[in-house]
Amino acid sequence: MTATTPLIEARNLVRRYRTGATDVAALRGVSLTIMPGEFVAIVGASGSGKSTMLHLLGAVDAPDSGQVLLEGRDISQLSDADATRLRLLRIGLVFQRFYLMPTLSALENVELPMAEAGASTTVRRERAKSLLSFVGLGERTDHRPSQLSGGEQQRVAVARALANKPALLLADEPTGELDAATGAALIALLQQLNRDGLTCVLVTHDAALARSAQRVVTMRDGQIVSDERVAEPVA
Amino acid sequence: MILLRFAPALVALLAVGFPVATHAQTDTVIGTPTAPLVPGRAAPAVRGIAIDERIADDHGVVVGDTLRLAAEAGTRGELVRVDAIVRRAADPSEVARSEYRVRLHLDQLQRLTGSEDRVDRFAVALRDSGESVDSALARINHVAFGFRAHASRDVAVESSRTFQVVDRFHRAIGGITIVASAVFLLCILLLKVEERRRAIAALRLAGLSRRTVALSVIAEAAVISVVGSVIGAGLGWVVTLAVNAHYQRLFRTPLTFAVLTPGITLFAVTLSLLLGIVAGALAAWRLVRTPPLVLLGR
Repeated sequence: MTATTPLIEARNLVRRYRTGATDVAALRGVSLTIMPGEFVAIVGASGSGKSTMLHLLGAVDAPDSGQVLLEGRDISQLSDADATRLRLLRIGLVFQRFYLMPTLSALENVELPMAEAGASTTVRRERAKSLLSFVGLGERTDHRPSQLSGGEQQRVAVARALANKPALLLADEPTGELDAATGAALIALLQQLNRDGLTCVLVTHDAALARSAQRVVTMRDGQIVSDERVAEPVA
Repeated sequence: MILLRFAPALVALLAVGFPVATHAQTDTVIGTPTAPLVPGRAAPAVRGIAIDERIADDHGVVVGDTLRLAAEAGTRGELVRVDAIVRRAADPSEVARSEYRVRLHLDQLQRLTGSEDRVDRFAVALRDSGESVDSALARINHVAFGFRAHASRDVAVESSRTFQVVDRFHRAIGGITIVASAVFLLCILLLKVEERRRAIAALRLAGLSRRTVALSVIAEAAVISVVGSVIGAGLGWVVTLAVNAHYQRLFRTPLTFAVLTPGITLFAVTLSLLLGIVAGALAAWRLVRTPPLVLLGR
């Protein structure tokens, strides 16, 4: 893949949901291209389709029509097993809620995806420690989620998403359950990851928060209504 | 030649106040006889008898005490000396029989009851002569007109039929308990797994395969089942101690009422493990077939 090849590309995506007897179009022919190393924020009101877009980009859901190309490969109609494997190795996902395993320590939570990928115990333990240190939790590796604050749990979730060195990090309202200061610290962490070369996509309803990214894509009623560069992303 | 002799020292059993004389179990002599009961010896002025442990406990009688023994209240009876105290055998048919018993010489029994030449039942033991029980039975039944001899094993089988029914009843209760436990375990596991829908969805979104998630759920269910069954077996063991202590005291018998053997424990743990695996597999199957976004409620 060259620098001019998109890391991920959405082509004319359509996604409908059935609510009772009503068909709701969440995405109405959306196209989006994200280059390697970009930090893109997708912003919009509730129901604008931004989360649906993220799910399709992350191979969590499949479009009714259209294509999603990751590193040139169509991932829009993968089998469950292939989509799961793709998420394991190439895509990191972070959600508003942290979804950590309550019975596992922070270290073990980060180790989980690496264990699934077949990494040896030594390798995954070292990498998990390294990742937790990177997100500022080097001293709390043995703590269980219930012993961590919300911001710390979200950092563990970010470390878990980075476990298998993904090409793309997708974050869906990652600051939604955090206070302003903790949320800002998390965004700073995402910016740091982006500066280190990781492509990041942030979904948020907060327009101010979206200004942290280099590029802001605004959605409304299942369509992209603007796509603009941020001259000076908020640090 | 077949040698027959009456049961030790021609001892018959008398339920005090009730002319019952039957016994087929091996009781335990727990007192120390000062004068052994000898067959055929001339009756001394005060003869020795063996008494039930219950009499000794209830009335503070010890070996060596002299008692006056009568078949009916108000009659003179005769003086006897307690030579032995007998503890009843662990016989289910003895449970709830609260009467006192004494063992005395046959002629004493006849005098006391005024029933000369009357014997309802008596036991015959074979010497080690090689004679089979069946052969001895046939000979006795042939020559002893008016009597009917039975092998002790047949008597035991006949008298235990009630307990065989009780045993089957217990097995039926056990079976129902197992089925109810299985349903309960399944429901609990399904509920516990349902509580983790979001966590399992997160695992699936993080790239953990259906197989990994299902195996982890099944493994957890198996561990919970085994730990639960071991704890249950421990509690069951404590309960058997309490049940036995209570009923042994209530019925004054050494009979064991509740038993928890290693075999039963192993069966329970194994069955629990299997049920846990099945319940875990069902719960896991439901979850991993559900798309992660649906598990997240989206």
